[in-house]
Parts: sequence; C-alpha cells; structure tokens
Amino acid sequence: MADRSHIVKSYEQELGQLRSMMAQMGGIVENQVALALSAIADRNEEAADAAARQDPEVDQLEREVESLAIRLLALRSPMAGDLREIVAALKITGDLERIGDYASSIARRSLRIRMPENQISLSGLRSMGRLVQENLRRSIDAITQQDSNRAMEVWHSDRAVDEYYTALFRELVTYMMEDARNIRACTELLFIAKNLERIGDHATNIAERVFYAVTGDNLPSLRPRGAPASALTVAETMQEPDVR
Amino acid sequence: MTETDPQVAKSPEVALAVRNLNFYYGENHALHDISIDFPARRVTAMIGPSGCGKSTLLRVFNRMYDLYPGQRATGEVIFDGRNVLERDLDLNILRARVGMVFQKPTPFPMSIYDNIAFGVRLHEKLNKAEMDARVQDVLTRVALWNEVRDRLHAPASGLSGGQQQRLCIARSIATRPEVLLLDEPTSALDPISTARIEELLDELKEEFTIAIVTHNMQQAARCADQVAFFYMGRLIEVDSADRMFTNPKQQQTQDYITGRFG
Repeated sequence: MADRSHIVKSYEQELGQLRSMMAQMGGIVENQVALALSAIADRNEEAADAAARQDPEVDQLEREVESLAIRLLALRSPMAGDLREIVAALKITGDLERIGDYASSIARRSLRIRMPENQISLSGLRSMGRLVQENLRRSIDAITQQDSNRAMEVWHSDRAVDEYYTALFRELVTYMMEDARNIRACTELLFIAKNLERIGDHATNIAERVFYAVTGDNLPSLRPRGAPASALTVAETMQEPDVR
Repeated sequence: MTETDPQVAKSPEVALAVRNLNFYYGENHALHDISIDFPARRVTAMIGPSGCGKSTLLRVFNRMYDLYPGQRATGEVIFDGRNVLERDLDLNILRARVGMVFQKPTPFPMSIYDNIAFGVRLHEKLNKAEMDARVQDVLTRVALWNEVRDRLHAPASGLSGGQQQRLCIARSIATRPEVLLLDEPTSALDPISTARIEELLDELKEEFTIAIVTHNMQQAARCADQVAFFYMGRLIEVDSADRMFTNPKQQQTQDYITGRFG
C-alpha cells in the first residue's frame, strides 16, 4: 500500500502532507514527554518550561491535521486504506494533543514539588517514565511506518504500564503513611504517575488506530490488563486539581 | 405478527446464480470462469476498469449477445430454475423478465405513453383502462407522473435527459420483470437526476433484483448492497459494499477503488 502512488499526484501529495504533519506532531509530543521526565528526574526547570512552551504548537498542528483530513474527505472521497488512514489521523491527532497536555501538566507540576531530604525514591517513577516513553516512541514509529506489528507491541505493553502504576501507587501511599511531611510531595508524584499512565493509554489508543488503519481489522476491545491493586480504584477516582 | 428470521435476512434467496461462466467475442475470451450469486431484491454493483467484462456479464443475463454472430457463452446462469444459456429458451419471455436500461436514454421515437405501452402489448392483452392504469403506475413509481401527466401523448424525445432515463426505467419495469439490469444508467445525467435515479433504485429493490454497472465508485457505495470487482475478464472480489469500500481483501481491488491503478 505504502509504495503505490495515486494516479492523481495532488492527492498523493496531500496524503504525504498529512503523514508528515502527523510525524511532526508525534516528534514534538515525544520531545515534550522527554522534557517532562527530565524535569522530574533531574529537577530541570528549563526542561519543564520548554515542555510547557510547546503546547501551542501542538494545538496548532492538531487543528491543521483536522482541517486537512476534512478537506481530503470532502474533496477526494477516499476509499479503503486511504479512508482508514485519514480517519485514523483525525483521531490520532486528538490522542497526540492529549499526550502533549499531560506532558506539560507533568512539567508544571514537577516545578512545584518540594522534595523532602532523601526520603523518597524516584526510581519507580523513572522506570515507568522510560516504559511510557518507549511505548510512545513505538506508537509514533507505527504511525510513520504504518507498521501494525509495532502497534501490536505497544498494545501488549500497556499492561506493564498499568502494573508500574499500581506498584508506584502503593509505594507512594507507604511513604505518606510513614511520614506526614511526605504527603505534599507524594501527592504531586501520584498525579504525575497518573498522568504518565494516561499518556500510556493514549499511546495504546494510537496503536489501536494504526492497527485498524493498516489492517482494516480492530484489535479486541478489551486490552490486556495488569491486576489492579484494590487501592487503584481510589486513585482512579481521584480528581486532579488544575495546576495551570 | 411475523418475525424476520435473521438467517433469512442474512442470506436472501438467490435470483441469478452464475456458475463457471465463460464468454467469447469470437476468439477473444472476455469472461473467465465467473461464479457469483445475485441475491434477490438486492442491488449488486459491478465495478472495474473499461473492458473488464462487467457490461459483458450484464449482456449475458438477457442473452443480448444472441443478436451478434460469433459471440458465445459457456457455463450456467441459473434463473428461476433454468439455465438462461439454454438454446431453446424463449428469449422474448426472458427479456420481459430481465429488463435492461442503458447508459444513454433510449426512448423509442413515439409518445411517452406508447414508450411504455409498446413493450407491454407484446406480452399482455390489456384493455384501454388497464393499460392507462399500468402507464400511470409505472410513471408514478419512477416519480415522473406529475411531470408528464398532461403531455402523455407528446413525443418522449421532448423530455430532459434525466426524465428520458426515468422513462426508460419505467418502460423496463412495465413488463413486470424480476431482474433489472442497468448499464451505467446515470453516466449521462446531472447530479440531481442521478440522485433521483439512485433514490428510485432504493425503492425498486424492494421488488426487483437489480444489477448495475457503474464507473462511479461513490454511486456503487451509495446504492449497492453487494459489490463485485472485475478485472481483465475475471471476478477479483465480491463482498458487501460496506466491506468492499472500507476493507477490501484483494490488493487489486484496493488499488482500483483508491485510484492507484495503472
């Protein structure tokens, strides 16, 4: 499919434009997540600012992808693989935009954490961050290479992200119980973990949409899931206060 | 109260069953071993590049090819329990039961009324009142009655292209056929007339089995329940319109409907 060109060259060009906009958007969002993770891990304020600063660009790209996709639908009457790719792009662009939002939320939050001396280990959060980052990278590769196998890998790996989140949740709750002075920082870290988990979910959404666009088939509606901790239900109902 | 059996709804009876059909224009082998079912009271669209054999298949169904020497078909086309290709089949009856509409409107050089009455008179003896009723009935069904009721005896050639095409459809259903064959019926019509014909197909399929050849992919997507893709005299793929246009199984189909053929 990918190496076959349309008879109408301008149609082919517009599809190419759509693909490159998606790749560009994916690249920026990936970078935002990397900056946000570095903001937490290295207490890097510059990185945090940089992550938040890229939001408007991502929003702008989302609007451009949407309007190009709608134009293609209206003017080219796409069929089969083209139709699936364009509709998938419409939805993926929304997922990418949300990921960007979560990344800048993590970045902004990282600036507010006042870490108690040497009490809280960030290694769990770092590992979860690395996995989410890896999944995001794979799902963006899946978009640019129209690779359903890549998509499948991400889909299977979401379970591990969930498990990290559950473990991290327990760990942070333990810190809080140990010492009430940890509560403030740990609460921030919990929200960060939740945001990372959401990024992982959106990466999985992207993987599902790429899989559909490429194969025409849907992945099962139930994702492979990690066993939820009983405490997880509390975490899932927690409302995140606006940090803007 | 009757309930529709879901099995029946899924697999309706077959009006035309084509089995291992081969067709030759003299030396030219135009259709290769075609097997396909046309479900009753459904619209089947046939798509494919020019010369792929889709119109040829249509011409087999009412034995149009019999008019030309050197053209012959082998295999089976089962219609109402009989093979349409049998030598001793009464072609006049076959053509009354399998109506056909062509790309360009082909009204006879006579009045609107007679265009319809002409074919009916060949097959049925109706009195004046019955014939009037038949004419009104079919013209109403093709949504032409209100436009022509005051000039039924004016020449059909005075109608617009879209009206002429609807008249031709009225003419072909006036003999009460079971199957309606349409060979690119809207390719010479403007979008409004095209929409009228498509709407008409939607209504007619409640009663007739419809086979339509079209070059317009969107038309096939809009009108058809089942779509068959032909290429170089072979049936490449047949599936529901829905699956055909969102997720065709064959690469050739995909290439054709997305405009990558060449």
